[in-house]
Amino acid sequence: MITPKALPRRTFLRGLGTAAIGLPFLDAMAPALRASSVPGKAPVRMAFFYVPNGQIMDSWNPSYEGKFQELPRTLKALEPYKSDMLQIGNLTHNTGRALLDGAGDHGRCCGSYLTGIQVKKSLVEIKNGTSFDQIVANEIGKQTRFASLELGMEDARQAGDCDSGYSCAYTNNLAWRSETQPMPPILDPRALFERLFGTGQPMTPEERLRQAKYRRSILDFVTEDTRKLESNLGPTDRRKMDEYLSSIREVERQIERAEKDNKQIDPHMDKPYGVPADFAEHFRMMSNMIAIAFQADQTRIVTFLMTREGSSRAYREIGISDGHHPCTHHRNQADLMEKVRKINEYHVQQFAGFVEKMKSTKEGDSTLLDNSMLVYGAGLSDPNAHLHEDLPTIILGKGGNNFKTGRRLLARRETPMCNLFLTMMDRMGVPTDHFGDSTGRLAGLDMEGLDLG
Amino acid sequence: MQFGRGKPSAGAFFDSDFSTLDSVLAQALLHGLQGKNDCRVAIVTMSRPNLAVAGFTDMVERYYRGPAGNFAQVPPIGMRTAGQSGATSPAFTEPFALKKLDGSPQFVNHVKLVRDTGDPNTLFRNYLEAQYDKNGFFILAGPATNLAALLDFRGAKELIATKTNYLVAACNIEADVAAAKKVFAEWPAPIYLVDAAIPFPGASIAKDFVAVNPDNPMIAAYRAWKSAPSDVPAPAMVATLYAARPKEGYFKVSDPGTIAVQTDGRAAFTPSPQGKHYRLTADPEKKDKVVQTWVELASAKPVLPQRFRPPAADDKKDDKKPATPAK
Repeated sequence: MITPKALPRRTFLRGLGTAAIGLPFLDAMAPALRASSVPGKAPVRMAFFYVPNGQIMDSWNPSYEGKFQELPRTLKALEPYKSDMLQIGNLTHNTGRALLDGAGDHGRCCGSYLTGIQVKKSLVEIKNGTSFDQIVANEIGKQTRFASLELGMEDARQAGDCDSGYSCAYTNNLAWRSETQPMPPILDPRALFERLFGTGQPMTPEERLRQAKYRRSILDFVTEDTRKLESNLGPTDRRKMDEYLSSIREVERQIERAEKDNKQIDPHMDKPYGVPADFAEHFRMMSNMIAIAFQADQTRIVTFLMTREGSSRAYREIGISDGHHPCTHHRNQADLMEKVRKINEYHVQQFAGFVEKMKSTKEGDSTLLDNSMLVYGAGLSDPNAHLHEDLPTIILGKGGNNFKTGRRLLARRETPMCNLFLTMMDRMGVPTDHFGDSTGRLAGLDMEGLDLG
Repeated sequence: MQFGRGKPSAGAFFDSDFSTLDSVLAQALLHGLQGKNDCRVAIVTMSRPNLAVAGFTDMVERYYRGPAGNFAQVPPIGMRTAGQSGATSPAFTEPFALKKLDGSPQFVNHVKLVRDTGDPNTLFRNYLEAQYDKNGFFILAGPATNLAALLDFRGAKELIATKTNYLVAACNIEADVAAAKKVFAEWPAPIYLVDAAIPFPGASIAKDFVAVNPDNPMIAAYRAWKSAPSDVPAPAMVATLYAARPKEGYFKVSDPGTIAVQTDGRAAFTPSPQGKHYRLTADPEKKDKVVQTWVELASAKPVLPQRFRPPAADDKKDDKKPATPAK
């Protein structure tokens, strides 16, 4: 439905001082979008979900290529979404390799993952490059409330030795604003919530206390604006608004529940106050907010460090009391490899929940997932050998109908990962000739059955 | 990867069209030299798009390098995808038909499609970056096509100049005159052009190679090579031996000069003290020693790469000397 007067895409529900809630794409906004530079087309979003310590590759790679048949064990949870998934093999990050710098593959592989630059081995003299997400954010970030969001779930230390002489700045950040400025991830769901639905700044303790005292939802602060807006919307848009505001309220409730549960914080995970102890719950909250942020076009770029490279988190919730990283040095011992497989599966299961959320969120005639490129991957393939080739990489979503999904594509061996990034920059509307150690664009993403052989 | 102190032995970049038995044997020789810690094989690249030949050279690499393990990679064969595929000798295909006693294949071909190989320029770049400064060399055994293309690759000239000491070229100029002209005009390091005719005794493959290691893939290749000559012209082996052991005095090295490739494919050498080109010729007195060394090294059993081995004792003494080859 098109209302007589078009609603601007960047409309906010505002409240007294502390609330500013962006809106999802509504039919009432359609005329406004038609007037934009890309008429009628939803924006393309991209997100990176980084998992540390590589994968057990025989459970990641299927034995076939081309159209997906049965997914391999680690990716099983994505079976319902395989028609929306593209798996790319043989991508390499040469800058993650030692290249004369000796030990420290974990520090290097995470530091260079989105920059394609070999990071400087140092604890104090931090030097990397601008990550490509930030290059894109610099170009298109003004179109949204937040140019980008940097999120994580574990350890935001920015100093100290996190791997053989590599600063924690390299293992604990994915996004880099410049060669010396990492962008530390938000770990706390409350802080993210307040950033997204508040004024952009975390609430003061007094404001938070006042709100908690009266057990008020952030939605209560925008009631009047909501009522006014809804009176001008058609029934479809009203239903969308209702679903959207309910999802915000649900996240808010999840955060409140987690805050009550603070006593259960896992002593093995370095977390600030307010971060839930339960990994799955934490991920669900954070990823739900990513979906809402994408839905409301608050941002188009997200980087998410699921846990940090070299993480020794124990996953007791799935019966693994050994640390993740020590298990990955498995020396081909079957029991250790099995533990790593279970952790790999567990991570993918969490991610699948987010994919479901994205797929079930309508955006015009398509879904949020259709208009996104959700890259899930790691900076190491075989963690036991610390290999930087054939990096585990899947993309969920068609990137605005740009990718042919539902298949496994094998690039030529040693193809730079930066070739994929260069191609994604095109899709984000920020074409450039060269990035990191790219040698060209990654061919075949939008074609069926590309095979140079 | 190197985690020890000091520099490891020099990294070798071997490029060939693998159109001769000599170039195949040179690949084995190179690994024999690696086994003696005279060099480390960085990558092997091929200057024609021929998957069968790439499959064989890839198998040879895997045979000598062993499986990928902790911190050890088995890089793909670099293969040019443009141009003519050229002839495919049965030497590259018949070894894959051989069976072990249990019926399993003696050699496995891992190259079925182009994507099983690598882009030569990307490989050159990636593996040059992994070398210490002035601690690498190129060997060319065939047309200069790949090396000419490398000169146009982003940042490659600087890398070659920084990381390598020289190129030893058993160059088939006629096969790609334009590429040879470009390489001799623009290569940012000294070039040693092989002009030595020392044949490799083919009979030793059936005799000496079998005695040392009957599993050596060179034996199968030689047997399948149609009309394999008893004396194999071996410029690629000259280039390889000189590149890895420049101080041994196996060959005669000219005074410096400049080699200019003519349009008709002739290479004209003009002596000049400022030149950075040299001619490499045979020394009749050293011929037997050269052949003996070839046979010993090319027939050797694989020595799996180690993380780091200190340079040979002789090299330690010369650490402070410039890394240019002796004449």
